Parts: sequence; C-alpha cells; structure tokens
Amino acid sequence: MFGYLRVQKSELLVREFEAYKSVYCGLCRQLGKDYSFLTRLILSYDCTFYAMLLMSLSRSCGGFYKGRCKCNPFKKCSFARCGDDAYGKAAALSVISAYYKLEDDLTDSGFFKRFAVRLIKPFFGRWHKKAAKNYPELEAPVSKMMEMQREVERDKSAGIDPSAHPTAVMLGTVLALEGVDDAQRRIYYEFGYHIGRWIYLIDAADDLEKDIKKDCFNPFRNVSAGDIREYQTSVLNQSLARAYDAYNLITLIDFKGIFDNMMLYGFPTKQNTVVYRIEEEENDKSI
Amino acid sequence: MTNPYEVLGVSPDASDEEIKKAYRDLAKKYHPDNYADSPLADLAEQKMKEVNEAYDEINRMRQKGKGTGSTGGTGSAGSYSAGGTNTQFYSVRIYIQRNMIQEAEKVLDSTPEGNRTAEWHYLKGMCAFRKGWSDQATQYFTTAVNMDPNNQEYRAALNNVTNQRSYNYGGYSTGTTTGTGGGDCSCCDVCTALMCADCLCSCCR
Repeated sequence: MFGYLRVQKSELLVREFEAYKSVYCGLCRQLGKDYSFLTRLILSYDCTFYAMLLMSLSRSCGGFYKGRCKCNPFKKCSFARCGDDAYGKAAALSVISAYYKLEDDLTDSGFFKRFAVRLIKPFFGRWHKKAAKNYPELEAPVSKMMEMQREVERDKSAGIDPSAHPTAVMLGTVLALEGVDDAQRRIYYEFGYHIGRWIYLIDAADDLEKDIKKDCFNPFRNVSAGDIREYQTSVLNQSLARAYDAYNLITLIDFKGIFDNMMLYGFPTKQNTVVYRIEEEENDKSI
Repeated sequence: MTNPYEVLGVSPDASDEEIKKAYRDLAKKYHPDNYADSPLADLAEQKMKEVNEAYDEINRMRQKGKGTGSTGGTGSAGSYSAGGTNTQFYSVRIYIQRNMIQEAEKVLDSTPEGNRTAEWHYLKGMCAFRKGWSDQATQYFTTAVNMDPNNQEYRAALNNVTNQRSYNYGGYSTGTTTGTGGGDCSCCDVCTALMCADCLCSCCR
C-alpha cells in the first residue's frame, strides 16, 4: 500500500486529530515491538487507516496514554490503547506488503535500486516470515494479489478493471475477515474492494508519467480518452462513490468523525492533488 | 428489540425536530436510489426498514393515543427485477438477482455475436458492475443505451454510473476541491486584503 489514505487535517477537530495521531504512534510502537526498530520506517497512513478501522469495528480502543517517541526522544506522544490485536494485525500487514513491494522492485527497477533492495531484503525476509507465520490469513491474500497482478500485467494492454482487480480483492478479503456474519462480510468486502481499487488506480495515475518514460506497465497507458485527467477523476470518483455506499452501511462509533473526514474530504482531496499535480502544502507534513 | 433512539443516533430527550432531521438524514443516506444496482441493495433496504420502524416507534411512544403519522412508503425498493418484457435473457436476470455472477456471465459469453442485443450489453454491464468493474460496466451501459435509446431500464443504469463518476453522489460535495489548481483566492482573501488596505488608509488620515 502506498500512503494515499489521508485525513484532511484542516477539517478535523483537534481532539480527532490527536486521536488519529495516537493511533499512528501506537502502530509505530507495535512495529518496533513485534519486529525491529527498522520496521518503524515502513509505517504508513494506509496501515494506520486499517488499524483504526479494526479498532473501531471491534470497539477495542480503551483510551489514551502519554509516552515518549522512540525516534525522537524529545517528543512526547500520546498512544491509543487497544484491547485486542488490531495493532498486531496492522503491523503484520505493513511488513507483509512491504516485503512483497521489495520483491516487486527487484524485478522491475533500475540497477542501483535493485542493489539497495538486495541489501535490505534479507532482513525483511526474516520479519516477513514471522508475520506470515502469525497471521497466515493476512499473508494469503497479499501473496495471491502479487501472483494475480503478475498474471494481469503479462497482457500489456490490460484495461482498468482487470488491472485494479487484484489489489481490490486483496483489501476486500482482508477486511471481510472482520465480519461476524454474512451480511457484515459482504459489506466489508465491498468497502475494501472499492478502497483497494481506488488505491491501485490513484497510484497508477500518480506513476503514469514515470511509467511512460520508462516504458513500464500502467493501465492508464491503454486508455484513449480525450483528457486523461478527467478520465482518471471519473474512474476514481466512481470507486470512492461505491466505497461510500458500503461505508454508510457499516456501523461505526469510535473515530467516526475521522472516518467521515477521510471519506468526504481526505480521499477526494488527495485524489485531486495527485491527478492534477497540485502542490501539497500544510496537509502533507501532518504528523 | 433495539432502542429506536439508538437506531436514529439521537438521545432519548432530543426534540421532535431533531428526530425528524436525524430520520431525514438517514433516509436520504439509505435511499434505494443510492443503491440501485449495487450488490448491497438488499442490506441497504433492510437498514432503511430499521430506520423507518424506529421512527414510527418513537412517534408512537411520543404521541400515544393521538394516532401516528406513518413514515409512508419510501418508494420502490430499487431492487433488481427479473421478468421484464424481454425474456430472452431470463435466466441471466435470475442469476444476477441471486448474485451468481459467474453463471450469468457464462450464459452471456456463449451468446453468438449476432444475438448481442442492447439487453445483452445491459446485462453484461450489470455483471461487471456487480463484480466492482465499474469502468467496463459504464462502457456496456453506454452501448446498451446507444442501441436502444428509449429503454428506461438501461438509461437508469447509465445515469447511476454517470452520477458516481461525477461527484454528485450521496454525501459527496466538491467543496474541498480546488479544481485544476492555480491561485487560491477565496472571498476571505479578498476581505483580508480590503481590511489591510483600510488600515493603511486610516494611518494616513
């Protein structure tokens, strides 16, 4: 995952922003605890979203506590306390997806980057093994996704829908794990599917220029639309709109304001900045 | 039974106005139109029913004896109707209704080129839509409408996806977007500039 699931800071209440930050810091701490100091570096907004969603669904957040930031000892942080394994799952998902991202980089990047990846990959191999052993239900969908993605990209002219399908299915499957009955699983799957699809497509839109230059696969290269940006916007809108439908059927109480902010402001704003290449100001250096 | 106030998300001592507003907001949110063609349509409908029942329940509790104004129907459920006038693809419609998309696609794909009518394109689009393949769905619906511009069913499906593609959807607003970028000069900026200018003026006097 790539860090597109953002909040719109200016529209959050201060206490909501504090809560969001404390989930972010809590996940960072978990990454350090479960794996290593270095894995803290792969902390992402996407996995923060995942952790916060898990905590909200199971209503397992039990308040906040103050502590010191490990990376910056002069900084005081607050951490969200969690009564179940939401952080553990989110940390595992971070490690697993980072590992596959590295593997992917090995096959399609330049010489120097490949060299760097070879250096750090052994460490990730070990962490990945640990995460995969403890959370096989998260490992399976991600490895399946990579396999499906390779299969799809073999056809250089693959369209938007089949290209986005693997990532979408992955996130749908991962979120469906949280449902307690069939109706919930369907809603979570649908929500995950369209958020996953949106993540894949916004990343593709982001990389389009680079991919054209390097002649790499990108589904938007196969689109013959008059205005590619308009086209990207409409495809992305549609994913968000369908995710929002599913979202409305999910009962959330904790962090509700933050999720509403993301669905209605954070994601559309991020989408706009990516598609129209708007310089990000305040919002970018949020935490 | 669950607490009707909880269903509407209001406190038990909320005023009638507040309850009405909460009810209206929820009814708008779960309105069948928002879930037309969606694989979650049945779940939204159920939610809508709960909200209606909760609202009725509260009304009943609040004005005992006066007789309550019912919430009335919420319009058609927007659910997918099999049957239709054209029975050429009856089995496909049944499959889609039951969310058996693979089976539906199998029948459609085995239809020879020559028999691929507007309805075929519409149903193909519906399969894609249910799978989450919104882009293909849009293309199929467009073709269906072009082939048979007078069919309301195809038109409704196309309208639905078009709305999704252009932000005018559910709670979405373009309020936060800055369009194609460029200088941000809002009303506030203009006001501030005027105020600054005004200050300068008073300095000189």
